[in-house]
Amino acid sequence: MKTASTLSLQLLQGAFAALVLTALCGVARADETCNSPYMSGLIKGQEDYVHVWTLGVEGMGDGFDKLVTIDANPSSKSYGKVVHKVSVGGRGEAHHMGFTDDRRYLWAGGLDDSKIYVFDVGSNPARPKLVRTIADFPAKTGYVGPHTFYAMPGRMLIGTLSNTKDNGGVTGIAVYNNKGGFVAKYDLPTGKIGGVQGDGYGYDIAVNPSKNVMLTSSFTGRDNYMRDIGGLIKDEAAMKKFGNTMVLWDLKAMQPRQIFSVPGAPLEIRWSLNPGDNWAITAAALTSKLWLVKQDGAGQWQAKDVGTIGDPSKIPLPVDISITADGKGLWVNTFMDGMTRYFDLSNPEAPRQTYEKQTGRQVNMISQSWDGKRVYITSSLLEKWDKGGADNEQFVRAFHWDGKELKPAFEVDFAREKLGRAHHMKFSAKGAAR
Amino acid sequence: MCGTQCASALLAAIMLLPGSAWPAPDPGPGLAPHMDFVPTPAGTYQLQRIQQCPDAVLLNPSAATRRLSSYTRGKVTLLTFFYTYCTDPWGCPFAYQTMKTLRDRIAADTSSRSRVRFVSVSFDPSHDTPDTLRAYNQSLGTAPGFEWQFFTARSMAELSPLLDGFGQDVRVEADAAGRPTRAINHMLKLFLIDGAGVVREIYSLAFVHPEVMLNDIQTLLMESDRAAMQLR
Repeated sequence: MKTASTLSLQLLQGAFAALVLTALCGVARADETCNSPYMSGLIKGQEDYVHVWTLGVEGMGDGFDKLVTIDANPSSKSYGKVVHKVSVGGRGEAHHMGFTDDRRYLWAGGLDDSKIYVFDVGSNPARPKLVRTIADFPAKTGYVGPHTFYAMPGRMLIGTLSNTKDNGGVTGIAVYNNKGGFVAKYDLPTGKIGGVQGDGYGYDIAVNPSKNVMLTSSFTGRDNYMRDIGGLIKDEAAMKKFGNTMVLWDLKAMQPRQIFSVPGAPLEIRWSLNPGDNWAITAAALTSKLWLVKQDGAGQWQAKDVGTIGDPSKIPLPVDISITADGKGLWVNTFMDGMTRYFDLSNPEAPRQTYEKQTGRQVNMISQSWDGKRVYITSSLLEKWDKGGADNEQFVRAFHWDGKELKPAFEVDFAREKLGRAHHMKFSAKGAAR
Repeated sequence: MCGTQCASALLAAIMLLPGSAWPAPDPGPGLAPHMDFVPTPAGTYQLQRIQQCPDAVLLNPSAATRRLSSYTRGKVTLLTFFYTYCTDPWGCPFAYQTMKTLRDRIAADTSSRSRVRFVSVSFDPSHDTPDTLRAYNQSLGTAPGFEWQFFTARSMAELSPLLDGFGQDVRVEADAAGRPTRAINHMLKLFLIDGAGVVREIYSLAFVHPEVMLNDIQTLLMESDRAAMQLR
């Protein structure tokens, strides 16, 4: 069996190499059903605003990373328009965000400068306000690249991508309280558990309290994700440094219990939120495969390859997934071909694609409303990995979904409006809209 | 009887709180607590030191002022905020039933019952007066040898910093016309506090598993025992 590193190298040396790599950092978790559900105020109806954590572009507007707020309520006069933006005064590779458990604050991280910005979204969701900056994250934790922000009661789990010692992929999980104070850190396993070798790499976090488990996935370190894509693909040694594992943790003890071999950089993790379900799904970017993590009849957790996304030989590169609230469907964005695909997950052991549509020249994140009727898409991966020229579209596109067809609702052109590279999205709502 | 006027006053007070414009909590599908695992054994894990417990001056059922810090130190404490007329089945009544179950279990353990206390603090000083608390407390029944304290505040202004310090959100629900109702929406949270006054675990709805909570309490008691041994 080929190792993932070998496989990724072969892929990247092929005809699609450059485009493949632009999608490897499929860093995206961005919808109502991918929020940590263990917080208050999940929006079941119409969202009022979409907040977009946006990478600054030198020479475009103020050039800083910023939180852009778009009016998403069709009944509003400013529907589909940018109604607010907050620049953070620097450019540090704005990437992902997550709400605190009370949904009053939105934490947003930078993969390059490892800063964490905390925005007050609860006081007035139309006008988020920067209220705290955590600038000593690497010094406090030894980790670099705060990626996933996953709410737990009174605190935030922060999944990271790299470390201060060598900027490689060995990393861990940090815990901060909601006041911004450091609480604890937990390294990803680098030894063997149950005969499976850990690689220590990190990416996403997803918790299932009813099982007392947490899953983590694995990507790559700062040396790779901040490197110019042209140089990276020519560096054979660097191309071997991508994650090939998922880890199952005892959530209460915060101790790793099981390592799964999941080749090809498994990225976003989504638990089915359907009561009684005992499985999570992920997509491996390099191999274009869907993986299911599920308890078997004996209660033992197993990870297995349950299907492909598009034609893996054409390198579609799945970069984000979004599960429906009932766990019966899954949106998948593939960066290479700009396609948005829908899979029927009625049988999670055998996902079946039922729909596809090209939604952009480069697409990364996909976010759906809790009721599944609206779908939002953004365009950017990383500053140095996005496509060039005319393919470098930067946008938020909103669609209506009737179960059969994605129909355009509105679009915000982030380049024309001099905002930057549109990346991660989160929704908010005014009280009356809930 | 506290009517609309009272509710309006309460709304005005609570609107001063951070995040008061935030919508109601909604547990959502699958988020009600469900336990499908064997709890990690007590004493085999460490609970995180999440934050220092904030302090406030409160009123007990005898209308005497008391510092909360006198009731969040020296024992393992389980603290929650509530209001006496809450009817949300996944809110205060659920928390109360859980705490009552835990109280009965702990009270039956002679080695633990004097080392654990519960504290319940009202969200609504305007309605939950000391007299109201006393009547509420009496209706609950007692467990001999077990300490369960009830508090209210002199005003919302005095309670507000405490809620903020714990990170406890609260909001008055509005009716269809936008008028305040008597319902106070809040995210259910129970705070487990060690003998040094440090919050070591927070249980929101999906994490309210009594067996796990008992193990967490035992874990803190064992930690305290180990610390005492080291001092000898």
